[in-house]
Amino acid sequence: MSEHPIEHPPRQTATPFPIPPLDHYHALDPNVIWLWRLSSTINWLVLLTLLLAAAIGLGGFLWHQLIPSLCLWTALLLFACFWIAYYPRRAHAAWGYRLNDTVLEIRKGVWFQVIQLLPLSRLQHVDLERGPLERSLNLASLTLYTAGTQEAAITLPGLHHATAAALRDTLVIQGGDDGV
Amino acid sequence: MIHSSYKEAMMESDPALPPSLQPPPPPPTPSAEQRLHPLTLLISTIRVLRGFLIPAIFVIATGNASIAPFLLSILGLSLLNSFIRYFTFSYRIQNGELVTRQGLLSRQERNIPLHRVQDLRLEAGLLHRMLRVVDVQVETAGGKGVEAELSVLSRETAANLRHAIFSHPTHQESPSPATETPDNTLVQLGWRELILEGLTSNRAASLLVLIGAAAGFADDLIPQSTIQDWLSRLGPQAEEWLSHNHQLQWKPILLLAAILTLASVAFSIAGSIILFHNFTLKRRGNDLFRTYGLLTRRTSNLPRHRIQLLVVEEPLVRRVLKLARIRADTATQRSNNQEEQKGGRDVLVPLARKSNLPLLLPELSNDLHPLPRHWTQVAPCAVSRANKKSTLAILSLTIILAAGPLQFISTIPPLHAFWLLTLIPITRWINRRAYQHLGFADTQSAFHTRRGWLNRITHSVPVRNLQVVTLHQNPWDRHHDVYTLRIDTAGQSYAGHAPMLRNIPAHTASSLAASLAQRASQTRYQT
Repeated sequence: MSEHPIEHPPRQTATPFPIPPLDHYHALDPNVIWLWRLSSTINWLVLLTLLLAAAIGLGGFLWHQLIPSLCLWTALLLFACFWIAYYPRRAHAAWGYRLNDTVLEIRKGVWFQVIQLLPLSRLQHVDLERGPLERSLNLASLTLYTAGTQEAAITLPGLHHATAAALRDTLVIQGGDDGV
Repeated sequence: MIHSSYKEAMMESDPALPPSLQPPPPPPTPSAEQRLHPLTLLISTIRVLRGFLIPAIFVIATGNASIAPFLLSILGLSLLNSFIRYFTFSYRIQNGELVTRQGLLSRQERNIPLHRVQDLRLEAGLLHRMLRVVDVQVETAGGKGVEAELSVLSRETAANLRHAIFSHPTHQESPSPATETPDNTLVQLGWRELILEGLTSNRAASLLVLIGAAAGFADDLIPQSTIQDWLSRLGPQAEEWLSHNHQLQWKPILLLAAILTLASVAFSIAGSIILFHNFTLKRRGNDLFRTYGLLTRRTSNLPRHRIQLLVVEEPLVRRVLKLARIRADTATQRSNNQEEQKGGRDVLVPLARKSNLPLLLPELSNDLHPLPRHWTQVAPCAVSRANKKSTLAILSLTIILAAGPLQFISTIPPLHAFWLLTLIPITRWINRRAYQHLGFADTQSAFHTRRGWLNRITHSVPVRNLQVVTLHQNPWDRHHDVYTLRIDTAGQSYAGHAPMLRNIPAHTASSLAASLAQRASQTRYQT
């Protein structure tokens, strides 16, 4: 117990309060917008193709249903285009992270905003992942593991490859005093 | 209270409590291969046979012998399996690790670093106690449940093993040898307390479940012809009763309810006595020892700094009697909570007087000293938001019932649905009352949240065991300028979930979260 004294005051390097506006944070690499656009385009394409097949199949039996379902499908297509164009930019603007020598802070979420604070001494290990799309855009994502339950894995996507590697090294060095 | 001579006898015969007067036995020679006690063969045979009791009864009762060869072959295989397990199982303590080895064809070796051992449990059923042996279970941090099961060892070997594990130099913050630090009994439950525990726990509900299950089972098992036979014998009375029943008869219903209630209370008290008989919680140095049980004696020890999260529960009945229940989470994730509940492992202290808590809690964890004096309430918008939610729910229910889309299944006349509206002022009052007890407290070393109106619950997280602090804000939160604060901890098997508090004013929430994370980062997390 002696090494965790209760009277120990917090160090004065604490994050300044209240949480400053987003430009104090590091943003993700802008390429991530294209990554998200690409991946959501793929998702939407799969969904829309299935729906189109269903609409045409249904139209084959009930021909008077064909026009309304195609209208609905077109509306969905327009929404998908809007979503692909609009949402990744908003998400990119909402994502941010900052690091002082003891705490990593991540914020994300356009409508449902989340701020995660990870004390670096709780870091168990760090994964650096690069999928094929990420590799083509020179991106990487970090997954930070703690011993926690619901938030045992915290992901920081869309970092430039070099940034991700540097950040990982920093995190591992700063969080590396753990005896676990 | 328990007679002292009896108590002493219990403790003496109790392998679980390490002897406090005698010097600790010498640890086994390192790297010496140890084997299970030969009685393992007997006990595992009995265990296998017990498992086949119900199928055997079924076969005999139904006279359906066609599955008997199948059952017998499974029985033979199970016995063979347990014999192979005994003859191939060995363990040793080597280089700060507990190494277990088993398997005939595929040999499995498991190395458990001693400093990661969270909990060493000793369990002795009636048979075990007669034969003077115990089951030993080893749990580790981050492991899923029991990591190694040494079943069975003699009492002396188990005591040696415990000593070897907890006095090993790699076991940080291990207790000093027993001779230096005296045991400090923190909680002891006598008959009076056990009866109170039984009366105020919800074990009664499990009786009803049991009866339901038994009824369902009986329904499946007893042939239809037998039931009809019974019904025909009961015939005249039953018919008479049913015919009277056109006007609802309250007497038999009330009588039945009273009998059921009494039975469940008796069941609950009996359960409490069987499970927690002679419960003691002791502190020696930095370890907590628990021993309890009437038939099966259970012992476990928990290093104090491994308490990830402490929960004090005060259900309504207990609150009236000024009693509480304490749960504690270690970093082990458990998959089978039902089993844990049956073994009474999910509670750290089944019953504590509320007046004792200020003394007891700091004994359980140094970080809970000092206990919070001032609680900070959340933003007042919590009340209005809760009011809006409950009003909306009641209004929509009323409209659904009154407008009649459910008319064909509900027998309530549409206009009667408007009676529901009287619930609105009641829920508003409840929401206001609940707000009074909703809040958080931040002592330097621990973070506490409390909530609940009738049933109160207080979560305490030592800052050193906090993992991640999260703030959530949905669009409505943003409108009110508040955050939801969540604290993630390891384990969370018994407490159910991490402490969470909604409607904390944005400014307070962000500074609180940052301060908690900052302080946490300056402590070292030890699983």
